[in-house]
Amino acid sequence: MRAAFSEVLVAAAKANPNVLLLTGDHGYALFDAFRKECPEQYVNCGIAEQNMVGVAAGLAKGGFLPIVYGLSAFVPMRVLEQIKIDVCYESLKVIFIGDGAGVVYSHLGSSHQCVEDIAALRAIPNLAIYSPADRHELTYTMQTAMASSQASYLRMGKADLGDVHSTMPDSDMQTILPILVRDNAKNLILATGSMVSTALKLASQRHDVDVYSVPCIKPMAKNHIYELCKNRDNILSLEEHSIYGGLGSCISEIIAGDIICNFKKIGINDKFSKYCGDYHYLMDYHELSYQKIETLLNNEFNAQHDSTIDIVRA
Amino acid sequence: MTQVFDAKSLRKTVLDMAFSGATVHIGCAFSIIEIMAVLYRNHLRFPDDAHAHPNRDYLVLSKGHGVMAQYACLHEKGWLSSADIKNYFNNGTQLKGLADAHVPGVEVTSGSLGHGLSVGVGMAYGAQRRKTNQMCYAIVGDGEINEGSIWEAALFASHFKLDNLIVVVDENGFQAMGSTDEVLKLGNIMEKFTAFGFESIQLDGHDESQIDDAIHQLKSKKNGKPKAIIAKTIKGKGISFMENNNIWHYTRLSSETYAAAMAELEEK
Repeated sequence: MRAAFSEVLVAAAKANPNVLLLTGDHGYALFDAFRKECPEQYVNCGIAEQNMVGVAAGLAKGGFLPIVYGLSAFVPMRVLEQIKIDVCYESLKVIFIGDGAGVVYSHLGSSHQCVEDIAALRAIPNLAIYSPADRHELTYTMQTAMASSQASYLRMGKADLGDVHSTMPDSDMQTILPILVRDNAKNLILATGSMVSTALKLASQRHDVDVYSVPCIKPMAKNHIYELCKNRDNILSLEEHSIYGGLGSCISEIIAGDIICNFKKIGINDKFSKYCGDYHYLMDYHELSYQKIETLLNNEFNAQHDSTIDIVRA
Repeated sequence: MTQVFDAKSLRKTVLDMAFSGATVHIGCAFSIIEIMAVLYRNHLRFPDDAHAHPNRDYLVLSKGHGVMAQYACLHEKGWLSSADIKNYFNNGTQLKGLADAHVPGVEVTSGSLGHGLSVGVGMAYGAQRRKTNQMCYAIVGDGEINEGSIWEAALFASHFKLDNLIVVVDENGFQAMGSTDEVLKLGNIMEKFTAFGFESIQLDGHDESQIDDAIHQLKSKKNGKPKAIIAKTIKGKGISFMENNNIWHYTRLSSETYAAAMAELEEK
């Protein structure tokens, strides 16, 4: 996915000299190609993220298209207010890239992990939020962000989990993308980012579940989500993000009080990463490993739920 | 109508607004009146008199709570109407208590302190990249430079050699809850900006000829250095009972204080 990101950045900068890549002294190796191909459009703003976002706003006012790159723990978390006031309030077009979203930087601890970015940004108007699952979705969402007239945040999570699509999605701004769809499956998994890969693997072991990827968190295709959720027995949302304010919350807002089913949000369950370890260790610690979700999924899907009441559980 | 940006008239407009809207931040506006007047009268270039002209000079009011001083100038520019001034703070009106870039002639939404300078730096950097001769003037409060982002912006301006940027520090010595010495000691502000790579001048922020000379001098120097003017000012300047009396950060005018302030301006 990072290679795709580099490619799409270089292509965008070559096509438009007003594209500027701003970084807060991050992006080692990732921007080698960009610096080689478009050195004049690469701006290292130093370890000064607040100023970087203000500068991006000033550049956008002057007709540039700034792409602001940082670790998601800092862009958007450290600069949330600058994003809100300097950029979004003034309806400026700036593209924010939050790299390493989720618990990718597992060994570095909670300071460099970010499972609250979607929740923090969702409430800010004039900002689209993308969460691509693989290199195809990355290209797709970046191109959508570039073509949009408003600001965007692109959440780049675990990048080496392989593709979930065989080709770039061929859809006209469609924001819910089918991954694995069966006839009349009564169960549904809606996943985003790194967890789409896990969802696909889980669904491959069963015959009664559909999997869709949600690369666009905002604006969310509410009607499409609603239609997908109708007449299901069980719905799971899967995300490497807090269960509060992320994809699961978005879906629950759409279906709550209307669609009767068993709905479970699976994500980071409101806790920090207490221990050090590799990515797989931490995902297991947060009960997001394949094995733990498989157990949960089997319990949920095989249980007999009382379908006469609306159960929306966190 | 000739635009003279007379300081006394601007202060009257501020008083009218503050009284009509029952608003605060009067002292914060009065300390920057002469700075605003000199900038609008002698320096800010607006081709075709268009506030949004792409080749205009930029004036960023980073201390957005002083915005009534700018409204008074924008009124004289003709970009705000007398009704805008008269109806200040009425429901459904456009002018807020802090600078808002949706207002014609206001470049940056500020008031949340420490934002405006960075945006101004970005505008100056954009002008430098486009190789235009646009200037960017950014007015920051001395209290405002408590914010770390101000110093991030100063580093950036110096590193990228933004000699089209003039930062004006309104050093009135007060912030919301007391004097700057009491709240968070700033030390020598000029030395700080100089240490950050700025070419700096300290002057009397109410002496229009000093301000004018300094701006002429600084903007003519294309030496790869951003510029800073440390303007020693008086919070509440122009009204004896407001000067250096920090209650006028938050106090609203009564009929009596409005009349007394207006009478004092008339006498001058």
